[in-house]
Amino acid sequence: MSELAVSARGVTKTFGRGSLAFTALHGVDFHVERGEFVMLAGPSGSGKTTLLSILGCVLTRTSGDVELLGRRVSALPERKLPAVRLAMIGFVFQGHNLLPALSAHDNVAFVLKMKGWRDRDADREASRLLERVDLGDREFVRPAQLSGGQRQRVAIARALAGDPPLVLADEPTAALDAANGLRATELLRDVAAERGGSVVVVTHDNRIFHLADRIVHIEDGRVASEEGAPS
Amino acid sequence: MTKREGPRRAWFGFRLRAMASLGVAMMLYDKPKLAGTLVGVMFAVVLSLQQLSILSGLLDKNTMLVDHAGADIWIAPAGTEQLQPGLPLSDAVLMRARTTRGVSLAEPLVFSGATVKTPSGASEPVTLLGSTQPLRLGGPWALVAGESSAIEHADTVIFEDSERDTLGSLNLGSRRELNGRLVTAGGFTWGLLPFGPAYAFADIDLARELTGLPENQHSFVLVRIREGEDAGVVARRLADRIPEVKVMTTSAFHDSIVHRLLADQLGVSFGTSTAFGLLIGFAIVALSMFSSVLDHVREFGTLKAIGCTNFDLTKLLLAQSLGYAIFGSLIGMAVVTGMAEGIRSPQLVPIIDPRLYLLAPLAMIVLCMAASVLALFRVRSLEPGLVFR
Repeated sequence: MSELAVSARGVTKTFGRGSLAFTALHGVDFHVERGEFVMLAGPSGSGKTTLLSILGCVLTRTSGDVELLGRRVSALPERKLPAVRLAMIGFVFQGHNLLPALSAHDNVAFVLKMKGWRDRDADREASRLLERVDLGDREFVRPAQLSGGQRQRVAIARALAGDPPLVLADEPTAALDAANGLRATELLRDVAAERGGSVVVVTHDNRIFHLADRIVHIEDGRVASEEGAPS
Repeated sequence: MTKREGPRRAWFGFRLRAMASLGVAMMLYDKPKLAGTLVGVMFAVVLSLQQLSILSGLLDKNTMLVDHAGADIWIAPAGTEQLQPGLPLSDAVLMRARTTRGVSLAEPLVFSGATVKTPSGASEPVTLLGSTQPLRLGGPWALVAGESSAIEHADTVIFEDSERDTLGSLNLGSRRELNGRLVTAGGFTWGLLPFGPAYAFADIDLARELTGLPENQHSFVLVRIREGEDAGVVARRLADRIPEVKVMTTSAFHDSIVHRLLADQLGVSFGTSTAFGLLIGFAIVALSMFSSVLDHVREFGTLKAIGCTNFDLTKLLLAQSLGYAIFGSLIGMAVVTGMAEGIRSPQLVPIIDPRLYLLAPLAMIVLCMAASVLALFRVRSLEPGLVFR
C-alpha cells in the first residue's frame, strides 16, 4: 500500500450559523499518495478551494479528519498549525502572492530561512531552485519587474523551497496565458517529482488536465468522480 | 533527482533575523509610507527636543549665576528658593562662615536691582552684581569685550553686550548714569540675561556705593570649601552654625531654582508642548503603520499561510518600529540641532543636554513600538485562509 501524503475523511465544512448556514463540503473523502500529482476540478463554488484550504491547514473543518503524512492535523490546536504549514506544505496562489519588497531570490530564501536554514545554504538553494524554474538570470529582480509567468514560476520555486511533502496550488494558471500556464504547471509537476513532493492543484483549466496523475471532480461540495489523466 | 545539500540549522534567533530583515525591506520598499512615518517620528523628536532645549536654555538663564559664580556653597537669606534679592545678611554671618571648619574662604556678593539712564533720558533696569577681589566669586564671566579686571578701575562697570543698543549705543569707555552716578563701560558679557534685567558687574565697593548697601551687609555669602572636604558636609556644618540663614550647596541651589521654575511657571507650559509633540508623533506613526498593514493585508495573509506565527509578525512590526524610531530620531536630532544653532541668541541659548541624544531615540523606540500595537491587532486578526479568497 502506498504511503499517503494527505488524506481527508468525511470532511464537512459549514460557514455561518442558523438560517444563514452554508455547507461548502459534505463529508468529502480525498487522499493523495506520496509523489502523486492530483488535480481538483469542478465548477466555481463547488468547494474545491475550501477543500484545498482545509488540506492546507489554513481553514478548520467543521467535522471529519485530515491527516498529513499520517499525522492527524485536524486535531491540532490552531497555534500549532503554522509550524505544520511551514514544515509540510508549500503553497502556490492564484495571484502568486510574492512579497513585492523582496527579490525573486529573497522570496524563495525567506521560506528556507524561516525553516531554519543557514543564510548561506538558503541563498544557494534559492538560486538553485530559481535556476531550475529557468529564472537564473532574473534572480535578483523584484516581482514587479517580472512577467506574470515568471512570477508564477518564482511562486513555484518558493512553494518547493525546503522540499515540503505536499504542495497545494490554487488556480495557478488563472492569470496566465495558455503557454505560460502549461509551462508553469509542467514545472510544478516536474520539480515536485524530482523532490519527492505530492501536489494538489485546484483548477478548471482543462488545458492542463493531461498533466495530472489523477483528476478529482468536485461538485456541490461532494466528490463527484475520479479519473486518470486524459491522454 | 538532483543532489542537494540538506538544511543546516541556523543559530538561535534565525526567525527573528528573517522577520526583521523582511520588516526592514517592506519598510524601505513602501517609500510614501516610510516618508510619512519618518515625518511623524521626526516631528515628535523636533517638537519635544526643541521644547526641552528651549526649556533648558530658559532654566540656564536663571541658574547661570549660581553655576558660574565659582562658589561651592551659597549662604542666602532664610526662605530663599530662587535667585532674587532678599533681606541682607549681616556681617556676623560672613564672619561665622569664614571661621567654620572646612571653609577655605567666604566672600560677600552684592546683588541688587539698579537703573541706567540712557542718553535719551530713558531708564533701563539692570541687575547689579558686586564681587570681591581677587577671586571675583559671582562674576563677571563670558566676556566678549574688555577684561574682567576692568572693574578694578574706579567707577567701571561691565555690561551685557546685547543691551548695548538698549542702553544707548553703549561702547567701551561710554559713560552712563547708574543709580544717579556716572560709571564707565569697561567690558561686555554675552548672553547673561536672566528672566529679570541683564546682569551688570562692578567691584563690590562700587556696587555698595551705587545700591546703598552698607559694608556690614551682604546679599549673599559665597563659600569655597577646603580641598578634600565634602560640600554637603560643610553646608550642614554652616547651617548648624548659622541657623538664621539658608545654606545650600551650589547644586542644591541650582536644583531649587529649577524645581521652583518648573513647578510654578515653566513646567506645565513646556510639559504640555512636549507631550503634544510626542502625542502627535505617536498618532502619525500609529496611523501610518496601521494603514501600511491594511495596504499589505494580502502579504501578511500570505506570510501567515506559509507558516509565520503571530509572534513572527510581531517581530516584523517591531523591527519596523525600531527602524522608524532610529531613522526618524536621527533626522529629527539633526534638524533640532540645526534649529537650536539658528535661534541661538543672547536672549535665548537653547541647550540640548547630550543625554537627550540618547534619550530621544530610546523614547521614540518606545513610542513607535507602542504605536505599532494597533497594526499588530490588525495583523493578529488576519486569517491565513484569506489568501485563497
